Amino acid sequence: MSVTDREAAPTPASGTPLLSPGTPGRILVPYGQGRIRGLDADELGAHGAAMDGLVALGLPVVPGLTVPAAAAASLCEPATAEAAVELVEQLSGRRIGDVTRPLLLRLSASAPTEIAGLPPDLACLGVAPGTADDLCAVIGQADALYEVWAATVRVIAEHALDVPGALLDDALLDTPRSAERVEVLLSLVAEHGSRPFPDAPAQQLALAARALLARWDSPRARRSRRAQRLPADLTLALHVQALRIGPADHSGYGTAVSRDPETGRLSAQGSFFRGVRRSAPPPHRGEPLDRLAGGTALLEHSLLTLERHLSAPVSVDFEVRDDEISLLAASAQLRPPLRASVCLAADLARDGALGQEAAVRRITPAQVQELLHPQLRLTGGEELLVRGLPASPGAATGTVVLSSERALELAADGTRVVLVAAETTPADVPGMLAAAAVLTGSGGIASHAAVVARGAGKPAVCGAEGLRLDRAAGTVRFGERVVREGDPISLDGRTGAVYAGTLSVSVAGPPPELSTLLTWADDIRRLGVRVNADTAAEVETALALGAEGVGLCRTEHQFLGERLPLIRRVLLAADPTARDEALVALERAQHEDFTALLAAVGDRPVTVRLLDAPLHEFLPAPGEALDAGEEQRAAALREANPMLGLRGVRLALLHERLYPAQAEALFTAWADVAATGIRPELEVMIPLVSLPQELATVAAYVRDAADAVAARTGVEVPYRLGTMIETPRAALMAAELAEHAEFFSFGTNDLTQLTYGFSRDDVERQVLASYQERGFLTASPFARLDPHGVGALVGLAAERARSVRPGIKLGVCGEHGGDPESIAFCDGLGLDYVSCSAHRVPVARMAAAHSALRARDDTGGSTR
Amino acid sequence: MQSAAVDLPDASDEPLTEAVVDLVLRGMWRGRPASEHRPLVDAGLATVKGPVLLPTERAKSAVARLLRVPAGSEQEKLITAAYEAFLPVNRKIRDVCTAWQCRPDGTANDHSDDVYDAGVRESLEDVHEAVQPVLRRLDRVLAGSGRYLTDLEDALDRFDDGGPQWLASPLCDSYHTVWMRLHQELLLVLGISRAEDEAREEELVTRGRG
Repeated sequence: MSVTDREAAPTPASGTPLLSPGTPGRILVPYGQGRIRGLDADELGAHGAAMDGLVALGLPVVPGLTVPAAAAASLCEPATAEAAVELVEQLSGRRIGDVTRPLLLRLSASAPTEIAGLPPDLACLGVAPGTADDLCAVIGQADALYEVWAATVRVIAEHALDVPGALLDDALLDTPRSAERVEVLLSLVAEHGSRPFPDAPAQQLALAARALLARWDSPRARRSRRAQRLPADLTLALHVQALRIGPADHSGYGTAVSRDPETGRLSAQGSFFRGVRRSAPPPHRGEPLDRLAGGTALLEHSLLTLERHLSAPVSVDFEVRDDEISLLAASAQLRPPLRASVCLAADLARDGALGQEAAVRRITPAQVQELLHPQLRLTGGEELLVRGLPASPGAATGTVVLSSERALELAADGTRVVLVAAETTPADVPGMLAAAAVLTGSGGIASHAAVVARGAGKPAVCGAEGLRLDRAAGTVRFGERVVREGDPISLDGRTGAVYAGTLSVSVAGPPPELSTLLTWADDIRRLGVRVNADTAAEVETALALGAEGVGLCRTEHQFLGERLPLIRRVLLAADPTARDEALVALERAQHEDFTALLAAVGDRPVTVRLLDAPLHEFLPAPGEALDAGEEQRAAALREANPMLGLRGVRLALLHERLYPAQAEALFTAWADVAATGIRPELEVMIPLVSLPQELATVAAYVRDAADAVAARTGVEVPYRLGTMIETPRAALMAAELAEHAEFFSFGTNDLTQLTYGFSRDDVERQVLASYQERGFLTASPFARLDPHGVGALVGLAAERARSVRPGIKLGVCGEHGGDPESIAFCDGLGLDYVSCSAHRVPVARMAAAHSALRARDDTGGSTR
Repeated sequence: MQSAAVDLPDASDEPLTEAVVDLVLRGMWRGRPASEHRPLVDAGLATVKGPVLLPTERAKSAVARLLRVPAGSEQEKLITAAYEAFLPVNRKIRDVCTAWQCRPDGTANDHSDDVYDAGVRESLEDVHEAVQPVLRRLDRVLAGSGRYLTDLEDALDRFDDGGPQWLASPLCDSYHTVWMRLHQELLLVLGISRAEDEAREEELVTRGRG
């Protein structure tokens, strides 16, 4: 039904005047009247519809009207413009020419949905050189009016009066002051325009409408529509609003959002400005909301009402007139701060306004990761050097360097450096790229340093006041404190804090509302989530983040530090006696490590992978051996291709005492821990198996070790034996392997390398980026499990294994265990759990829940 | 450009002069050194540090002297006027790059929101429209500066063709990289330090607040 066929219905409550049929005013829709006339956002524009909604909620709005999209062009005609002016005067109770209670108009446009690229608002319609002084007298300052007026004239001059833009720009370059600009613009219009700039408000409004619609038709606007995949012929609704002019100290405009971005709690956040509202936000900060003379109660009431109504954190624009607030716009925040979204979801669910499942659906796994960014682990004893501006997120620690050259030099050796600079120039960019983090004394979140740091993904703190560099002396001063080039320093690009010394970077625990949501997610998901952890400390961190057990404990990591000499002695022993001595020492050390680990795990499952490291990681470098004999033996063991050589189960079969020693240490540790009342569910896993006979033989070693421990301690240690599936052959032989294995864990990192034939380090450097650019890959197969190749092998292995041992437990312990899409794939295969690094555990929990919800949606079933 | 022959081995060696000025304005050269870089290294004007080629301190002072227009001259006055019109727009381009890289709440922009990205593109268009009259004016008083507008438009075209790195990546001649180079040239031509530059920008932006 065309909007022109309808008549405005009078509503006694609002007292809106009846517009008689046949007048151009019929098509004008005052705010709040749209719904009654059967109009929605398609006709009213997002703004018109939003204002309707605000009126319906009983919230105060700025007086105004909408010219529906289909009829928008008619506002360019004098008759319609006249009617619009008259109607706004009636709605606001003011008249344009009135000196004591002046009124001007603002024209804006909106599309059916929130889009970018709308033409700018044109405000101050109705002002003329003759009336300007009176208006300035009322406002109390001139600049605010002139600046907006000049901007409006500029747009109308170019787009409705045919004055060339370059001419206008050139003139404006020479005229910095707003009042003169208006004069210059008006005379340019008189000289070059298709007609002089009119004084009459209705004529100005008609030209303004013409200008907005012309701007909407410009090449740049068309490009913007294309980029947003909007129809090229999309029409706009136009809105004429009352601009009630008043004294600056009781008037203004502002914005507010409903939630505190840091804590996510309900609280009006924003600022307001005095003077006339402009289209673009003004460059300065504005005043905090608590300075509003009329108080914020009405504003907070509005925000709360809107949040419940829109079920999202909200953002409002408002005007202040004589200390009273009216809303100009209100909408759900398009991308609210994460903590706000999470808090709102938790709040609504707790109030019963939203189901728990619905709340969990709102937060994606990627957002969970966002909330758990690495931070500096603060113990309270750190020395804070300065608090600058957070410029690029992330936390880092490194050696202070004061120049780009030094940064490059040290970084080339693998040292982590923090580039400290007073300023940044293009010459500093290579240093910034080489550094682990950047600290500058000047600038802020929009400084060149910040832009470059963010572009390179480096944490940065800028605008650190009191920073004084002395390159010659090699020092940087933070106030009184002097730090030398070469000293360690740590910084957090999210908080802006800079500390002396090396702090550890770790993942913060989830905020309370996220923990709540994750608990609800746990109820929804089917897939288990375990952690890849090698030490008791890592286990504790992971359990706090919600892991159900340890899916992978890499025992070789226990040997890569101070224990390295022990394993070397075993491998390079000159004779059996020396070797056995070394094994005893090794067993004792492992027993210590295992005891701590098992105690931390508690009664939960823990999968211990017996030694798997390529030989080259244990051998001394050429020339580093203890003596000539050892050097010779080491040389004999060196391999061309260590990743595919003597490692994993193969090493154990050639050094037959190795796994028994490890297993005995493990079982003894279990017995000791069980004596204290803790009984972990122990799983022993064999790495890099490709032949069933490998597994069978080693299984016997492990059994013998368990028997030996039983004989010694009297404790029969319960355990399950399983294998890694990390070679294509193992996947294909899954049925045969399942005869000896009570569980499988898919080592998807190695499986991906071997299935593609990729050497990970080499292709990551040289091949993957190119393949992604060419569109061969959408993501690195090491980050996201390849569903077609590697995933197919996993699926095949699962099927074959289950045909032999139906209850076999299947898990994934590669890095993919922390990637949401890979997790969804594993969930789809019906695997039992994924295991990932500690800081990914919350993401995995959320991803598993989302996967379960998606599966439910797909099958149409619901337990809601 | 004056060939004041201060520290350059061959005063009349145009290609060498151009190459060293270009290197100083860029700040560095990444990747395989081009043919014009070898002579710079030989002349002690550039050094190779790992994957990048950097200008030496000597090169930087030489170029600063070369580019500087005579203090108090008419040319300096005209360039200064253009520079002062440039600064407020300089503030805006950084805001645009920031908006491209992160959302208003500070989280990284993953470009999943077409509307937000289109909004940033609109702001970029505003900046580009604002800088054109300034660059047109500058081209009249500073020889060779016309190429900046060309380079900016190239970057903009590539950005619109679907290469997001062409707005602010430091690893290519993105809009922001070209802009930084333009800014650097203005500072060297007028002999203004970064600290002064920041102060002036702040002053001009504050003055324009109204």
